[in-house]
Amino acid sequence: MTESPEDLRRWRLPRGRHGLPRELVERSQRERLLAAVVRVTVANGYEATTVGDILGEAGVGRESFYELFDDKLDCMLAAHRLLIDDLEQQIRGVYLVDGPWPGRMREALSATLEWFSADPDTARFMLVELSTVGPAFRPIFQAEFARAIALFEEGMDGAKPELAQANELAVGAILARIYEEVVLGRAAELRRLLPDLTYEALVPFVGEEQARAAASSA
Amino acid sequence: MQKHRSSGKATSVLRPSTPPDIGPRSQRQRIVDAMIDSCAEKTYAATTITDIVAGARISRTTFYKHFPDKRACFDAAIADCIEQLREAAAAAHTPGEEPGDAVRKGTRAVLEAMAARPGLAQLMTGDAIAVDPLVIERYRKATLPALEALWSANGGPVQAHTDPRLAFGQAQVLILNQIATGKTKRLPELLPEIVYLAVTPYGGHEEALEQSRLVREAATDSVVRR
Repeated sequence: MTESPEDLRRWRLPRGRHGLPRELVERSQRERLLAAVVRVTVANGYEATTVGDILGEAGVGRESFYELFDDKLDCMLAAHRLLIDDLEQQIRGVYLVDGPWPGRMREALSATLEWFSADPDTARFMLVELSTVGPAFRPIFQAEFARAIALFEEGMDGAKPELAQANELAVGAILARIYEEVVLGRAAELRRLLPDLTYEALVPFVGEEQARAAASSA
Repeated sequence: MQKHRSSGKATSVLRPSTPPDIGPRSQRQRIVDAMIDSCAEKTYAATTITDIVAGARISRTTFYKHFPDKRACFDAAIADCIEQLREAAAAAHTPGEEPGDAVRKGTRAVLEAMAARPGLAQLMTGDAIAVDPLVIERYRKATLPALEALWSANGGPVQAHTDPRLAFGQAQVLILNQIATGKTKRLPELLPEIVYLAVTPYGGHEEALEQSRLVREAATDSVVRR
């Protein structure tokens, strides 16, 4: 099954049951099911969602569902994998390029905020609904947090912080800020965080002056 | 929900009330404990009244005597969690101590309390916040003014160096990561980072680094002595 990030962005942008363009409806059943699990779990909560709800939203038959997924959780986790891979692609494209680290860091934050604000349902799915699936959430959180820190480190150019776990704290700050906006239903306004978040992520590494300079050009 | 309640009332007439050796207060505490444990084990959304009743070894009738519904019981569990951690922090230091010393001791006590009772750590992160985002606000109200007071006690109001709300969120992320990694029992390992986060809003970056260094050195010393 190949799903390009471009396809993904197209299917996660439309909102509402009847706003779907024709080409989307004609897409693979798998993609429709993944789009449906995002919308349905955000609307009803993971626990209250049934496979039947997902089928109804996707317009896909039960048999096809079970050919593709073991159960509701399997479908949910497949949607999560697809989305997190897309987010990482967006960040890599602007972060792992030439240029001074503070500027690239600001661009990476900008891409991240853009991604989460583009579709508030997707943002809520990734940051809130996923945490309610039970113990299966734990290995996912651990893996994604480690992956985010690895990506953060990959783009750094030798800035040495004074605190041992500074990278964890920086990624934790970004996650905490975005999480709060999303959980309070303010995902659409995330972009306004860019200057503050740029400053907060950079200051332990480059000091106040450089961090302020990078933040003010945000 | 309403149905359970009315059937509960009917049976309470027929059954003998609470046994004399188990007072209503400890009954309520057992219900709250069962809610905390069940949330940690299978999330709030998946928790049923049946789970709580079984965990607390009480009747459904008794549950509804104490709480109108599952959500009210959850709110009581959050309040209990806040109270337990607040007590642990308060008991760890004496009034008038240097703010840095007080934060180090209080933070250690809170992390140890969460390691001893993983349900408390679980209620501070993850799906408990998804139940109601206002839960974050309740935790902050219980924590941040107390931290600020440690610094202002030495002379007038203090100015925040960094946003204390962000520091709180960072601490939540680190704790959630420790739980996710299966190291809830080893939460005290996060002490240098959490102390840094607890000091930096009102004490500033330099002071926070210093306090973080002190706990790290103390940890190394104790390993060497062993």
